Amino acid sequence: MEQLNNIGASLDFYIFVSIALFSIGAIGVLTRKNMIVLLMCIELMLNAVNLLLVTFSTFFGNGDAQIFVFFIIVVAAAEATIGLSILIMAYRNSKSIDIEMFNKLNG
Amino acid sequence: MDALIIIFITGLLGLFVGMLKKSQLTLIVICTGLIAGFLSMFFMNDYESIFSSYNGLSFSRTQQMFGLLAIGLTLLAVLLGYAYYKEDTEHTADYYGLILFSLTGAICLIGFSNMFMFFLGLEILSIPIYVLVGIQKGNSLASEASVKYFFTGSFATAIMLFGIALIYGSTGSFEMKEIQMAIDMGMSHSPMLNIGVLMMMAAFLFKVGAVPFHFWGPDVYQGSSNAVMAFMASVVKLAALFAFVHLFNFTFQTLTPFVSGLVLFAIIVSLFLGYLSALKQTSFRRMMAYSSIANTGFALFAVLNQQFGEASLWVFLIGYACSTIALITINMIVEKETDELSNWKGIGYANPLIGITLVISLLSMSGIPPFTGFFGKYLLLSSAFSDHLPFVILAIIASLVGAYLYLRLMLLSLSREGEGQKLKMTGIQALVLIVSLAGTVGGWLVLLIK
Repeated sequence: MEQLNNIGASLDFYIFVSIALFSIGAIGVLTRKNMIVLLMCIELMLNAVNLLLVTFSTFFGNGDAQIFVFFIIVVAAAEATIGLSILIMAYRNSKSIDIEMFNKLNG
Repeated sequence: MDALIIIFITGLLGLFVGMLKKSQLTLIVICTGLIAGFLSMFFMNDYESIFSSYNGLSFSRTQQMFGLLAIGLTLLAVLLGYAYYKEDTEHTADYYGLILFSLTGAICLIGFSNMFMFFLGLEILSIPIYVLVGIQKGNSLASEASVKYFFTGSFATAIMLFGIALIYGSTGSFEMKEIQMAIDMGMSHSPMLNIGVLMMMAAFLFKVGAVPFHFWGPDVYQGSSNAVMAFMASVVKLAALFAFVHLFNFTFQTLTPFVSGLVLFAIIVSLFLGYLSALKQTSFRRMMAYSSIANTGFALFAVLNQQFGEASLWVFLIGYACSTIALITINMIVEKETDELSNWKGIGYANPLIGITLVISLLSMSGIPPFTGFFGKYLLLSSAFSDHLPFVILAIIASLVGAYLYLRLMLLSLSREGEGQKLKMTGIQALVLIVSLAGTVGGWLVLLIK
């Protein structure tokens, strides 16, 4: 943490933006009902992580984290694909994309 | 490393062979591949690998043992799936292919030595499972389970990634050894590092299914098919638990005082909530899901034991996974339209093999001495005995509740009232029962070899 303070306000700024993005995504996942919006919120959280990693990578001056960002982008694409197909399957079975309609499993 | 490649290629090959729509041929190809992977893992040598210069994956002796266990349990799940999907020739190969891809992820997660491999392994493990849970397309319960697992799972992944980013920000590296070195050098009080570790821990508790992040377990287990449930309860849990223990015992070992209180809380609440909720279930799958939450609680004792944690976890997982797979196989044979526990009434006497397997699995799960379940629990608890005595006593009280749960199921299936009828079972199901019975009875003999 001491290291980080030496660089001045700019790094803090990036970290705050990324934490804000992540929180918006997390709050969205917890409160929204529409499954497509949920998928978008999860993408938002992953992009906040990407921003944070790129910031640190520039700060440390090595490219590791930028490679990691590519991995995250690939995985996020795979996850979105799977998520949309699951969503379509669920829509065919229940004719709704409201997450609160899925309450048959409980107890 | 070679084992990983063999298994991945077998998965691809299985998908192509599946186009011929001959489920038996597909099964033979997949099993051959798995056995080849098993042998290659067994005779593994870091210097003779195809990619010996790549250091993202490395397998120590213990990691090799976990890999062998994962491949063996997958073989059992594949055999179980054959009984399930053999009529449905359209989707047999999908099931096998996805299971093998998921196993690839599990092996990455067992052998990782940097965060790249860790993250990729976790995702390769989870993404096929999201699909597998919903593989019965027309079933609305399956699609509901799949939706729930997908959203909660990817939320946990995002939290894990934020944790990894914060750890990178405070240590400047993705290599496990360098992270450990940076922490040992006095980074351990950095708030950024601690928040990152906390976020990783939350995501891990989700992946292994421990309380406070256990809520997905019962729903997902109930919605998925028996074979998928067997795979999730054994291999997925094994890989996630191993990665958890490995990461927190080696890389974050300096942080143990900070972590151990939280882990102890998760253990005790998992144990009591798991067993007490299991008592009031009428559905077999929900009961197994809650019992697996409680067993996860036991397994987490390995996080507190740096010296023998992984070895005791291995023994515990043999006992837990073998008896779980045996019980799920029996449920597969017994199940009619629903998986109500009342189906189990009186099945023990009419079918000797089922009766014996059931009794021994339940005894092993409740921790009665000559079986593997007892040795696993003993090793885990005895190591925590000196440092965390009150918690060990609480864990033993919880396991008495668990013993009541399992013995009640045993009494139900051995009762004479129901005049249980003879049940049909295929040869493969009998084979799975016998193998898991052997694991439950003799798994602890491995201790003597070491």
